[in-house]
Amino acid sequence: MTAFIMRRLIGMVAVLFAVSVLVFIVFILLPGGDPAERMAGKNPTPENIHNIREKWGFDKPFYVQYARMMQKAANGLTPGPHSEYDILRSFDTRQDVVHEIVKGIPATMSLCIGAAIIWLFFGIVVGVISAVTAGTVSDRLITILALVGISMPVFWLGIVMRYFFAETNTWFPDGGYVPLTTDPAQWFYHLILPWLCLAVLFIGFYGRVLRSNMLDSMGEDYVRTARAKGLPPRAVLQRHVLRNSLIPIVTLFGLDFAAVLGGGAILTETVFDLKGVGWYAAQSVGGLDLPPIMGVTLYGAFFIVFFSAVVDFLYAYLDPRVRPA
Amino acid sequence: MAEPATDLTFDSAALLASEEHEVTIVGRSPWYLAWRRLRRNYLALASLGLFFVIVIACALAPVYAHHVAHTGPNDVHVGEKVRVDGKLKDVIGGGSFYDVNTGKFVVKAPTYLGPTWWHAHGRFVLGTDNLGRDVAVRVLYGGRNSLMIGIGSALICTFVALTLALLAGYYRGGCDWLISRFFDIIWAFPVLLLAIAISSALAINGFHHFGINIEPGSLWLPTLVISYVLIPYIGRPIRGQILSLREKEFIEAAIGQGAGPLRVMFSDLLPNIVSTVLVFFTLIIAANILTEAGLSYLGAGVRLPDPSWGNLIASGQDQIETAPWLSLIPGIAIVLTVLSLNIFGDGLRDALDPRAKVRIER
Amino acid sequence: MMVAAYGVAANKSSSAPNKAYKKVGTLRAVLDTIDFLDPQQAYTGQSWWAMWNVYETLLTYKHVDGPAGYQLVPGLAQSMPKISSNGRVYKFTLRPGLKYSNGKKVQASDFKWAIKRGFLATGQGVGFYTDIAGAKAFAAHPTKGGNISGIVVNNKKRTITVKLTKPRGDFLTILALLFAAPVPSSTSTQILNGKIPGTGPYRFSSFDANRGFTMVRNKYFKPTKYIPRGNPDKVDVSFVSDANSATQRVINGQADYSNGAIPPDRIANAKGKGHLVLRDAANTYYFWMNTREAPFNKLKVRQAVNYAIDRSALNRIVWGGLGRATQNVLPPTYPSYTKLKLYSHNVSKAKQLINQAGAKGAKVTVWTRQVSDAIDAAQYYTSVLNNIGLDAKLNILPRATYYSTIGNVATHAQTGWARWLEDYPHPLDWFDVLLNGNRITNTDNNNYAWYSSAKTNKEIEGLKKAQVLTPAVNKRWATVEKQIMQQAPWAPWSNRVFPEFFSKKMGCIHIQRLYGVDLMRLCRK
Repeated sequence: MTAFIMRRLIGMVAVLFAVSVLVFIVFILLPGGDPAERMAGKNPTPENIHNIREKWGFDKPFYVQYARMMQKAANGLTPGPHSEYDILRSFDTRQDVVHEIVKGIPATMSLCIGAAIIWLFFGIVVGVISAVTAGTVSDRLITILALVGISMPVFWLGIVMRYFFAETNTWFPDGGYVPLTTDPAQWFYHLILPWLCLAVLFIGFYGRVLRSNMLDSMGEDYVRTARAKGLPPRAVLQRHVLRNSLIPIVTLFGLDFAAVLGGGAILTETVFDLKGVGWYAAQSVGGLDLPPIMGVTLYGAFFIVFFSAVVDFLYAYLDPRVRPA
Repeated sequence: MAEPATDLTFDSAALLASEEHEVTIVGRSPWYLAWRRLRRNYLALASLGLFFVIVIACALAPVYAHHVAHTGPNDVHVGEKVRVDGKLKDVIGGGSFYDVNTGKFVVKAPTYLGPTWWHAHGRFVLGTDNLGRDVAVRVLYGGRNSLMIGIGSALICTFVALTLALLAGYYRGGCDWLISRFFDIIWAFPVLLLAIAISSALAINGFHHFGINIEPGSLWLPTLVISYVLIPYIGRPIRGQILSLREKEFIEAAIGQGAGPLRVMFSDLLPNIVSTVLVFFTLIIAANILTEAGLSYLGAGVRLPDPSWGNLIASGQDQIETAPWLSLIPGIAIVLTVLSLNIFGDGLRDALDPRAKVRIER
Repeated sequence: MMVAAYGVAANKSSSAPNKAYKKVGTLRAVLDTIDFLDPQQAYTGQSWWAMWNVYETLLTYKHVDGPAGYQLVPGLAQSMPKISSNGRVYKFTLRPGLKYSNGKKVQASDFKWAIKRGFLATGQGVGFYTDIAGAKAFAAHPTKGGNISGIVVNNKKRTITVKLTKPRGDFLTILALLFAAPVPSSTSTQILNGKIPGTGPYRFSSFDANRGFTMVRNKYFKPTKYIPRGNPDKVDVSFVSDANSATQRVINGQADYSNGAIPPDRIANAKGKGHLVLRDAANTYYFWMNTREAPFNKLKVRQAVNYAIDRSALNRIVWGGLGRATQNVLPPTYPSYTKLKLYSHNVSKAKQLINQAGAKGAKVTVWTRQVSDAIDAAQYYTSVLNNIGLDAKLNILPRATYYSTIGNVATHAQTGWARWLEDYPHPLDWFDVLLNGNRITNTDNNNYAWYSSAKTNKEIEGLKKAQVLTPAVNKRWATVEKQIMQQAPWAPWSNRVFPEFFSKKMGCIHIQRLYGVDLMRLCRK
């Protein structure tokens, strides 16, 4: 087990390193405007620009810039004061990138965890019902609804929801995020629409995956044996079919959750004006602001890699056949 | 070989059976069986039909624009008047204005020409957008762009994923390790961010390296960017299937007989995964259409003024009160297209998978 | 002469600041964005809207409505300065007993530190101060201990003397820019948003770059003749970039005031559910045409563009009609303004001119930035260019890099969108910065048309010396403007009228010409 964990850890670090190098190369190669000019603002003198270039190290070769940037990112995570130039700072606003990401985490976490609970719960319910009533009208209806759910662009659904529920009829607030610590009731109220919007997409998908896994399981020999032995159908369902069908769901859930947590909910955050990490990412990326892009990319990649490892580990735990020898 | 134990072969058995039951039993290939199952799935066929109708309608966008609406997708007609049922109406009228007598601005909302259906002889059938452009023409051209990108990127994605999976599965070892790590890295990459970034960066000058010249407004940029997003999504499962196929005896036999790698890959491995690939391909088109819509919505896909269903939704957002159809219609178009692909893909999977216990039949 | 046309619920006593303040409590405002809250860095109208109540300058503007709001009055200075006869030396005396919001005394040397800090921190406004003697040398090698010889201060006598290398008629207004707000000498050169103490009626108590900031009363502030006590006890600002959301917040009662644009089709709806006030601000929206790049190096092509644009239609599309069609460089708020009618809307004439210039089918790239009104205007413009016979396509750049890209000679940008909001009320802020051939630079150029005419360059340089805008001087400015527009380096199309949206419960709405809605004088009904 320990060897497995160690190998995964090394793999994680390697992937993170590769991702950071790739991002850096892509951005150094892509034309995005001279960062010194961007920081200089509206009426700079040539001396301004030259000074900026020196102070921030834009005149150094690219591998030195990469190393410095990585160091600055690390500095951002360690507590204590740092000089202005030792922290990852945006080219456009000169804000502390790590600080901005940390500020966006509560909104993103609130959105993703809430939506995840909803989609997991309803996804399982939908999957079980449609598997048990397979072939009947209700199964077909649920399947169609689920398919409609995954066929909708999430941002369009958000716009339509805002239009009907927050603008034409002001039943819900029209976007914005209230921190949990400020006002829990408002926090919840503001998040209902975004939760539903994000969850709809996944409910359909998970429902169908679970349905097809359960149907496969129900045809397996061991289920037939259990039934033949006289076990009531419900017990068969719960003890055998469901347990085995949920294993692939765990994998999927781990990866999807990591993806949205890592900033994948950009579209939902943008439509509902939740200033989370995804929203911050979209802002900086559109402006080709390299330090925030680097910060957000590493943040997102970290979650995906971490949850991949967690999921693999869980999978090994749940399915003895997969455990490493 | 020794003498056969009996002179009863499969063919003679069939002959005997048919004489007995007056029914001809014919051996069927799995493809034929799949086709028969698919044929009975009316919902899937209807969806495929819907998809083709949409594709053809969008492909005919230039014809519609030229002969029916008499305008291009980017042509602005604000300040003009259109004859609807004989009456002249402003394309965009109303709006605030400065009243010289009172010395103040009178605040009024602008009025947009709503859908004329057929009352204006084909002009502005679905009304105008906030810049006085014909919505129907833009929706069709937008569909054309979205579908070209969606299908094109799906083709590239499938082709690349398939190639990589074949290589990884056939050669195994170091090659497999490398390709798997490649899949891992792409998987870990927040690809939406990268797509936005690359689009924004290349927007200024296009891409002019390595002998390839792509202009800034070209559709190739979003196509290439989107195609690589889902490579690991299908690359990994296919690789898994190929790896397990690789262990089977018939592959060992083929290699033992001296078949080269290309021969094994094309004649032995590929045919066994084609059904999986086909299903994936259908679903990837659907997924890529949604991804392109998302990118265009954020301004990083098809660049304005060229339409795409995604950026039409974005442009129409500000008019959601007075002209909600501007955002609703492209959204519905996306839902119908993607839904039809999903339903058909489902039906295809059910048809191709003989082990499926319950299929949507009747 | 001054066009005072906006629907403002102004009371008759709009010229004197309120004697007794009316309780407002916390004012909740929504802004679309700001750049910085550091006086030596901030360069957006939204930042200045808040900051002029926090940071005072030697000279300032009155808290009154209408054109009187453009009049310079003493702020931190005891009185208007003594100006030497050659117009190059300005002498100020600070008021006694001035304190910052942290209790520290204000010293004359703090003014010098503020100017130095601008150069050291590479602030965006330093270009305005390079005519101070010694400033250029300092800018070349700025150090904390270095000196700007042209600024001489005496802390005991509280005097500040500023020497210029050449006379500038707009120097007083430049000194009233927030870039010249004194800050304590201990203030570091790092960007400190919301942490620098000021002498105004309010101080910043918190700042979050992506979410908002708050202002509370400065307990060390004493009201003066020109700067009253403010009505709100606290100002709570949130950033919401989506115009629709911002408007909705006011309608829902989540905010008292929104400065963002209101989507044109929500205007009528918003009018019923809130209090809409229209603000005239000195601004011009225009399409620039690079006179050095084909096909816009030909006069006929540039004129054709001016004939082809339907300005009133464009105002209707982009602002819902809340804008005035214009063919002038200057907005109507200037005394020198004479409405130009050189180009009527005539598409066939435009096509003719294109053909005559032999520019039919010429490839053109139209540049614009990623903001919805700029995108809409540019889409219209691209369609017009295609209609008259050019082959145009659109290129949308990110907001942050737009100006530096089109201001870079290497881009060879042919034409595109731009707008100018006045920094201070003087024609030099327009003609010198945007259309003086002598001030063209290869990077970060503001003269996007790369326009240089020996005649108008000379006239602009000559007009710099004029200390006061007399009718004779204004006439000369009007002539310069006409000559420039006859050469058509621009196709101006709008003087925008800004909607300011308040909840129905807000009253006492006053608009200061330069800084916008006067938050200090707002009250609740």
